[in-house]
Amino acid sequence: MDLKTLAIIVVAAPLLGAIGVGAIGLRGLRSRSHWLVLAGVLVALISAWQIHSRVHDLTQLKYQVDEQGRAREDTPKVQEFADQGIKYRVDTQSLSFPIYQWIDGGGKFSIFNVDFRIDPLTCVMLLTVLSVSFLVVVYSVGYMRDHHGHAEHGYERFFAFLGLFVFSMCLLVLAGNFLVLYVGWELVGLSSYLLIGFYYQKPEAAAAAKKAFIVNRIGDFGFGLAIFLIFNTFGTLDYDRVFQHVIAGTTLGGGVLEPGRVTIIALLLFCGAMGKSAQLPLHVWLPDAMEGPTPVSALIHAATMVTAGVYMVARCGVIFASSATAMTVVACIGGVTAIFAASIALTQFDMKRILAFSTLSQLGYMFLGLGVGAFDSAIFHLFTHAYFKALLFLGAGSVMHAMHGVIDIRRFGGLRRAMPITANTFLIGGLALAGCPLLAGFWSKDEIVHAALASNMPWLGWMALVTALMTAFYTFRMIFLAFYGRERLPAGVEHAHENGKWMTVPLMALTIGAVFAGYVGVTMKSSGFLGFLEPHGGFHHFLASVVDPAKARLHAVHAEAHGGHWLMWLSGGLFLIGMLTARYIYLRHPAIAHAAAVASGPVHKLLYNKYYVDELFDLAIVRPLRKLGALCVGIDQYFINGILWIISAIPRAVGFGLRGLQSGGMQSYATGMVVGVIAIVLWVLIKA
Amino acid sequence: MDICFALVCGSSVLIEGGRHGFGDMNSAVGLMLVGAVLFGIGVVGFLCRRNLIIMFLCTEVMFQGVLLNLIGAGRLWNNLHGQVFGLFVLVIAAVEAGLGLAIVVMLFRRRGTLDAERWATMRG
Repeated sequence: MDLKTLAIIVVAAPLLGAIGVGAIGLRGLRSRSHWLVLAGVLVALISAWQIHSRVHDLTQLKYQVDEQGRAREDTPKVQEFADQGIKYRVDTQSLSFPIYQWIDGGGKFSIFNVDFRIDPLTCVMLLTVLSVSFLVVVYSVGYMRDHHGHAEHGYERFFAFLGLFVFSMCLLVLAGNFLVLYVGWELVGLSSYLLIGFYYQKPEAAAAAKKAFIVNRIGDFGFGLAIFLIFNTFGTLDYDRVFQHVIAGTTLGGGVLEPGRVTIIALLLFCGAMGKSAQLPLHVWLPDAMEGPTPVSALIHAATMVTAGVYMVARCGVIFASSATAMTVVACIGGVTAIFAASIALTQFDMKRILAFSTLSQLGYMFLGLGVGAFDSAIFHLFTHAYFKALLFLGAGSVMHAMHGVIDIRRFGGLRRAMPITANTFLIGGLALAGCPLLAGFWSKDEIVHAALASNMPWLGWMALVTALMTAFYTFRMIFLAFYGRERLPAGVEHAHENGKWMTVPLMALTIGAVFAGYVGVTMKSSGFLGFLEPHGGFHHFLASVVDPAKARLHAVHAEAHGGHWLMWLSGGLFLIGMLTARYIYLRHPAIAHAAAVASGPVHKLLYNKYYVDELFDLAIVRPLRKLGALCVGIDQYFINGILWIISAIPRAVGFGLRGLQSGGMQSYATGMVVGVIAIVLWVLIKA
Repeated sequence: MDICFALVCGSSVLIEGGRHGFGDMNSAVGLMLVGAVLFGIGVVGFLCRRNLIIMFLCTEVMFQGVLLNLIGAGRLWNNLHGQVFGLFVLVIAAVEAGLGLAIVVMLFRRRGTLDAERWATMRG
């Protein structure tokens, strides 16, 4: 099959699955409706793997190099792809092709094409998204049932939405221009809204869905403006052409591109990323999004959709790298979000919320990496994070399912013996998140910290290290409280038990990812960490063609990719300190935790209440807006309605005067007629 | 009251006829005068009576008055148009009478009375 067909299959298969479930999953076959989506995602995953292996083959080819060291564009491969209608660019390793023309510009312009673009970054995203999606769909089959195996209310709706989400996310990453990107961007927002509000009978879920959508809209407003500005400046929305313009420093018509304009474009784009990836001012929706079913939290609000912002910034790396201001903003917001969210996670008791804040924190890491120019490291962290965070969320869901919906770690504990698979996979996921050496999170996080320390803002790197310590602490606080110690069960649960195969198999599969995903980005070298491991491996070489143009635009001097082994020892040590402290406090001396909470008084309260950001927004934005709304209602009711009342009073007064004539009696009408006739006759006679 | 009115009308006809002089009286004028009297009687009856059937009959009387006027006008101009037209009006009046009576019967069945005041429900 040619590449075009494969790309279309990747997008179409989940969509067809979703439509199929929506169409036939209504009666009788309800509890079997997962098969269609499962098959759709599996087909998409296989196609994505095919695409990946082809792109991988391309990156392995050696090209003839011209005198400037660039790959020559006249290799036979280019012609081969051109015959299939695919534009192949050797320097960026990108394959782009239009699927169809959306709006025909009469051959003058082709801005509104539905273009797809396949390059190494797309491949990484597709594989991450689809492999996690597939496992989450499998898991959902077990999760969305009660303890007797009956499908929950809305079972088919759930799978239809899940299929819609996978379709949207694939569209987002396959997009070849900003317009299609925006369409995918909004579609994932829609599916996120639908799935957060899946239990729409619950007022909290409905409110959370609304909040997520509105906060995302604020970010998307900036994103939309960025797209307008890009079109206004460059006259095109096609990635390739926009990036070429930025690199050359020209605008449409050959004018000079002012640096201020690039900064504004980058900041507006980042505004969209902040909304979708829940960075600091716009993070408030993500913890509330945990009202959705747990598989949704795992897939959309941890592994895939929230990383769309990271993907977008990495994709537009050239634009961001052209503006030092924008890079500083991205790095600072990322670093601050990381430590901010991690500190909140220290005090929370809801397992899913802890994981949500941890997701915020890890996304902060990714933006930190992007902001200091380590685009490939950020994507690498995105890749590893997807597996271990999905694993942790699914593990939390498994606990929640066994505990009949209780997720507060104060109300249960010591589940290790009752739920061995969940406990052990969760532990491995936790190790990966906390940055245990040799597990996935360790490699990717350290690269980002390394890049931050080597940048011109090393304090961000130190902040990231403090965050790493906090991460280890809160992760193991959660693990020790939930799985270790004396067995405690919430009221109404007689005995905890492990969940069925549908749920445990995806957990085990994700464990493999959590352990080994890091090794695609590591090389074996005799001089490296522990004597043989060195960061920056095959993963980074694969992505090199995508991120190199952006990296080349950064003027800051960059530390060499290798080395920095002291940092690995340091972060390994921080992991150990965090874990052992949590063990000491929560397993050995539980009184300390309480005493510390009391002793730190207002600080604990501040953290426990999430820095009062929600309350602040409520006070500063929501209530003034409500007041404004009330004012508008007042104006409408008293002023505008008053004017209308006056206008409408005229016909009413006329009617009031004429009402007496309408007596309903036949004689009076007839009299009127006769009088009228007589009057007319007299008039005629007198005139004559 | 109808009779009083008829007397008034009749006397006014006589006075009018006297003024024009009965001697060279053109029969057209007489016809038209009688038609006017009939029309007047119909109008007054229609306005004064509340029984639906009587009111309906009064409209018929008005009809006949108009008819006589048409014939009289034909006489006046010495042609047959008036009479031919009169024939048509007669036929239409017959048809209309059938319809009108049917309506009156339906109205009677609805309310069990022929009082026109009982239908004064379309008051503004």
